[in-house]
Amino acid sequence: MGEQVESNYGSKKVQDVELTKTKKKKAMFTWLLFLAPTLIGILLFIVYPVFESVRLSFYSSNGTIENWVGLRNYERIIGASSFWNSVYNTFFIGFFQLLIAIPLGFILASMINRIQKFQSFFKVLFFLPNVTSIVAAAMIFAFVLQPELGLLNHFLSTIGLPTSTWLSDPSTSKWGVILLTVWHWLGFVIIICLANLQAISPELYEASEIDGASGLQQWFYITIPNMAGTFAFLIIMGWISGLQRFNEVFVLGGAGGSPNRSLQTMVAFIYERGFGGFEFGIASAATCLLFIIILLFTMLNLKLTRLKI
Amino acid sequence: MNSRSLLSKIAMYLILLVMGVLVISPFLWMLSVSFDRVSNMRIPFPPSFIPSEFAIFNYELVFENGRILRAYLNSTFVTLASVTLQVSAALLGGYAFSKGKFRGKKALFILVLATMMIPIEARLIPLYQMFNASGLLNTLWPVIVPSILYGFGVFLCKQYFDRIPDSLREAAQIDGAGEFRTFFQVYLPLAGPIAATMIILSFMGNWNEFVWPLVVLNDENLHTIPLFLASFSLENGTALAGMTMALATMSVLPIIIAFLFLQRYIIQSIALSGIKE
Repeated sequence: MGEQVESNYGSKKVQDVELTKTKKKKAMFTWLLFLAPTLIGILLFIVYPVFESVRLSFYSSNGTIENWVGLRNYERIIGASSFWNSVYNTFFIGFFQLLIAIPLGFILASMINRIQKFQSFFKVLFFLPNVTSIVAAAMIFAFVLQPELGLLNHFLSTIGLPTSTWLSDPSTSKWGVILLTVWHWLGFVIIICLANLQAISPELYEASEIDGASGLQQWFYITIPNMAGTFAFLIIMGWISGLQRFNEVFVLGGAGGSPNRSLQTMVAFIYERGFGGFEFGIASAATCLLFIIILLFTMLNLKLTRLKI
Repeated sequence: MNSRSLLSKIAMYLILLVMGVLVISPFLWMLSVSFDRVSNMRIPFPPSFIPSEFAIFNYELVFENGRILRAYLNSTFVTLASVTLQVSAALLGGYAFSKGKFRGKKALFILVLATMMIPIEARLIPLYQMFNASGLLNTLWPVIVPSILYGFGVFLCKQYFDRIPDSLREAAQIDGAGEFRTFFQVYLPLAGPIAATMIILSFMGNWNEFVWPLVVLNDENLHTIPLFLASFSLENGTALAGMTMALATMSVLPIIIAFLFLQRYIIQSIALSGIKE
């Protein structure tokens, strides 16, 4: 009895601590309920598949029978010229898409930013391709790029420029796809550039105007340096989606990326091996390689673009 | 000085106009070919933006085929269900990350952001096997269910709720409201703008989704619009120009009309996704 009285104060403290503990637990539980859909999604559709991909990459599997093969899948892929061909195609198309679309989109956005009338008209016009699905766009471009009867070659020959075989020849087919991807992505680049152009403080321009800077000087010395972060964002986003390229090359050339595999991207390679040939082990190993490439390349991009800022 | 700036203005309008016409010309040509009666025999040449023999013949063929309506229905159902799931999950999750106080919050949030880096392509085979094992292949479920995870939406919502003051919460909780009531009665009604942004982005994303549905929907009756277009295009190549362009028009038109009506909000949403705080 005496002991209880003595520790009265102490036990109240303990009770308090317990109370806040259960309160905290209850609160934690409530927040977990809020997060339940997202967390279940992460576990089922990210964590499990990623680990399973890694596991499968060490097996020879057709979906039902699995045999441990160690690193053989990786050896086979790294030794296969068709895999490196798909890596080359993916990077080639991605590189030129970014190289053309970002400067072109930035120049067009700068112009739209400078004019007073019809601003939103031009925004809508250039953004229209981006809202249509790339699948439908590829379907239309199969005709636009048709060598004899297509819209593009007719236009080029009318204004006296040389025409091309575009998609019907492996040596030019990638340029046909680059044209399509630039056309489809340009509007996105313009919208992002415009939003960030308008976020540059007008005081910078006013100050330079007092110093007598011309419009072009302002563009070079104020606008472009201030857009470094935007360019970095576009480069990173562009590469992430470019490395995952599949839809348009699949519509134009099937899983094999015809003509002559000139359009097969990394994802198309995975798709062909996985769902065309049911070589799940090989496809999983390629998936892991793709993922490592995306990760390394994104980190490299982050580094490089941050260095420039 | 003044005349020079006027001249440069005129040059800008001219360049923009020429580029704009170039960008829009594939669509105009698509329309023209789709309304050309003889275009299925041969692509009309020289290309023109006015059909040589105007007819709705190609559209009749497309409708007779019937599959496009089925694909529309499938796409509509899948998209509505996915958008509902995504936006609800993102609002709930974003609120918890913004207002919640619990251990491991930061680490969990980083995990959610990291999920944006892992594309569906890197998970195709295990996901395929998972839905195969559960017997849900060749139903619309595998297309809908995984959309419950919407990392980018959670991120957007967290940013949005961060800007709504905590004092509202405190007031509600002094009145005895629990966390769920606070969310549904106080914060959710204020989330209109961010919800609209997410609905737009998620709608466009799901409507145009291609590779995952391609893997899990082998049954032609379940094909969504992009799948139907791709299979038609792969079957026919550049034969049947008229029908292909009629199909393309049919598939593109709803999105373009929606875009023209909502363009201000859509452009804002896209721009928002690219502005770093």
